[in-house]
Amino acid sequence: MMSNENRMTIDGAEVTFQPGETVLEVARRQGAFVPTLCYDERLDPYGSCRLCVVEVEGRRLPASSCTLKAESGMEIRTGSDPIRKMQSTLMEMVLSENPDDECPRCRDIGTCEVHDLAEKLDVGRERFLGAISNASKDDSNPFLLRDYDRCISCYRCVRICDEVEADHAITMTGRGWNKGIATAFDGGLMDSDCTLCGQCIYTCPTGALADKKMVGQGEIPGEVEVTRSVCPYCGTGCSINLHSRDGKMIGVTPVLDGPVNEGALCVKGQFGFDFVNSGDRLTRPLIRKNGELTPVSWDEAFDYTAQKLMSVRADHGPKAFYAIASGRAPGEGSYMLQKFTRAVMNSNQVDNCSRG
Amino acid sequence: MKSQVEVQDPITDRILDEWLDEPAPFLSILHTIQDHYGYLPEPALRRVSQRMDIPISDLYGTVTFYHFFQLEPKATPDIRVCENSACCLHDLDQLCEEVAGADLGIEHSGKIEKISCPGRCDVPVPLLIGEKFLHGAKPGAIGEAVEATMPLPPETGQQECLFQHIRDGVSDLTVALEKGAWKSPLLAASDPEKLISELKTSGLTGRGGAGFPTGVKWEVVRNENRGPKWIICNADESEVGCFKDRVLMAHTPHALLEGMTCAGLVTGAEVGIIYLRWEYPEILESLQAAIDEATAAGYLGEDACGSGRPFRIVIRRGAGAYICGEETSLLNSLEGKHPFPREKPPFPTTHGLFQQPTIVNNVETFCAVPPIVEHGGQWFSDLGLGEQNGMRIFSVSGDIQRPGNYEVPVGTPLRQLLVEFAGGPLPGREIQGVTMAGVSGGLVGAEDLDVRLDPASLDGLGAMLGAGGIVVHDDTRCMIKAARESMHFLKEESCGKCFPCRIGTTRMTEILDELGSGQPVREGIMEEIEDLEEVLGETSACGLGLAAPYITRMLKKYWPDQIQQKLNGSTQASEGADDE
Repeated sequence: MMSNENRMTIDGAEVTFQPGETVLEVARRQGAFVPTLCYDERLDPYGSCRLCVVEVEGRRLPASSCTLKAESGMEIRTGSDPIRKMQSTLMEMVLSENPDDECPRCRDIGTCEVHDLAEKLDVGRERFLGAISNASKDDSNPFLLRDYDRCISCYRCVRICDEVEADHAITMTGRGWNKGIATAFDGGLMDSDCTLCGQCIYTCPTGALADKKMVGQGEIPGEVEVTRSVCPYCGTGCSINLHSRDGKMIGVTPVLDGPVNEGALCVKGQFGFDFVNSGDRLTRPLIRKNGELTPVSWDEAFDYTAQKLMSVRADHGPKAFYAIASGRAPGEGSYMLQKFTRAVMNSNQVDNCSRG
Repeated sequence: MKSQVEVQDPITDRILDEWLDEPAPFLSILHTIQDHYGYLPEPALRRVSQRMDIPISDLYGTVTFYHFFQLEPKATPDIRVCENSACCLHDLDQLCEEVAGADLGIEHSGKIEKISCPGRCDVPVPLLIGEKFLHGAKPGAIGEAVEATMPLPPETGQQECLFQHIRDGVSDLTVALEKGAWKSPLLAASDPEKLISELKTSGLTGRGGAGFPTGVKWEVVRNENRGPKWIICNADESEVGCFKDRVLMAHTPHALLEGMTCAGLVTGAEVGIIYLRWEYPEILESLQAAIDEATAAGYLGEDACGSGRPFRIVIRRGAGAYICGEETSLLNSLEGKHPFPREKPPFPTTHGLFQQPTIVNNVETFCAVPPIVEHGGQWFSDLGLGEQNGMRIFSVSGDIQRPGNYEVPVGTPLRQLLVEFAGGPLPGREIQGVTMAGVSGGLVGAEDLDVRLDPASLDGLGAMLGAGGIVVHDDTRCMIKAARESMHFLKEESCGKCFPCRIGTTRMTEILDELGSGQPVREGIMEEIEDLEEVLGETSACGLGLAAPYITRMLKKYWPDQIQQKLNGSTQASEGADDE
């Protein structure tokens, strides 16, 4: 007889699971449609949206599958009619909390979890209408828009700031309907422990948090195009998605399955892309001739630089040369620079700008 | 990081030095700072954050969760007025207007703040100014509001158990000892298995509302090998219409301390914590005096009751949050975390305070232990009527002749409690219905007043016995308004974590407002109620949301005519649709 250990039933099919897995994880692996809004795989299970409820044989009430650990012999039903009806009602309740206008996230990024899920469950903002939750916060920081009219209080922003970033910049305040998201003493993000990493924006399932620079870019015609790339800022190699419309870059989003960053980015990689569209950006090598910066070919530039470096060494000795590698360069590049400094320039004076 | 800048605040440092080695000191530290400054100044909180290693944002958020922590100084206190069931049977608008300008003998700002039930429904309406309560304020008779000791339970002439000596002055240790107090811990120390067996025989179940068998709970904690274990008394009595724990703590505190000591000696816990609701300042004082008295006499301390083992009891004061009466929220509150409920399982018996094995029992439950040990489990069990075990205390208030606490056998008919003991409705009136549990157990209509007061019988009606609060509504009342007030309370006290409760109790309150307004209501409103009931009752994360549908389901069951009248009124848009 086959052992019952680490086996359970999901919608009639027998499945195995790893000890410690949640019912949500097992069910989704089986292909079951289990909706969630407060869930982010990077965060500890929270169990607040209750959309992931499933029926558990032997239990009177449905259980939230994100917080329920899989147990041998469990029998789970995910999509019964009563469960789907409650999920739809919950979704309608969520929509009723938000204002009845265009979602900026859907407009700017082309998608948002709340509205995608509403579409999947085929419900709209028609019933349970009443007071709208929360209030926007004026925040003078340059990057993060905090439009809490659209907040659904899943606290993913607070939790990612605590659990993943360990910045603890924001918190939930108040209680019940009068809850909110705030920094300590409700000041601006710039006066808090926030590092402006933007993680809160991209775990937010609504338009409550947004990239200020991306908001309003929806005016540019054309569909949002997403191109996967690697952040150019440092050698870490975080995976990013570049968002563009009509050939113009409008923003960056982190890539959840990026092998290095797993969805994390820092303030530079997240928001520091203004240079891409800047008119001041250098696109060719320049040599100052007769006091004027003059565009030249790469060959001319290399020859000119090599000749100048050699004359510095000849005229002033190797100690006249000091190299500082860019923090944006990968390890290989930094290695080459120190090799060049020692072997070609005969100097030991080499450093890196990130050695702060 | 900005929060790492060292903050200087010698007063807060002194307070921290004094408290940090005490058990679960978080709430006491904040209260002591607030008592000193009159509020919680930012530098003080930053210092607490640094020394307790709590991120300042989290600490700030936690402080804002509670009603009675203040972040701004106030020159003179506002007047806080109870807005819940028994009190809102009075004309609170008029009362507030009169109170604002009145000389109440205590300096106040004239500003009114409505608060949730502070557990003084037997002498409505209570006014809270600073930390002083005045009782019995009535519209047109503000002068009757006085600061006075709360009344003893009215006598019924029936056999009592916990109340047996309550009118004999047993709040004093000498009198309590004359009446046989402080004997049960000897059995707890010498034969803990026997004590657990007596508890099981007694059929005693948790009196806070959940009704879990007490003997089983104690046995689980006793059998756990990890520690330190904790004994916690849930004295955060916050359910609207419940004031039984207040009277027990005021008038028979040694029974509570004795019951907790038994739990400590049975399980091996060395510290008991009484989580006392903020709204009982006079109890804070008298209970601490009783603890000091018992400690001086050696019943508590290093050699508790001569057992050779230590057990001490400390009080931790809440700060105004109904949800902290939910045991896992209470644990988070004690630990200094955001007081949201925890997911269960694991249960507190294995993973309680600081994740250690913990007994959490209600005041009444602990108080029942000494008489069970004295007379035997079978004796207690036999006190119940029929199949039922033991006695229970019910807090009766509202439209009734003799509001107060009554201890009656479990299984006593509701009508007997209301009419025979509590004196029945006011002259010329009839009882229309009562709220149960306080209010979260729904409503029972006049046709079912013969229901027996035991959990199963109330379940049978679709209501819930809960913590034993009963607010009587007579035939002058609009039951839609009664339901609205109950729902409004749950909305105000919802912690806001889970979606069904946060949004559901708000929408339900809005819908009941709409129904009660006399104005036309939107189409499909009854279907909305039904769908909200389903989601609240099936998917909420804790008992608060799960209980909310009792209110509307019972309203529809007993008073369909009152609803229909409103619905008809709205479809015909008839003139003069009043809201009674």
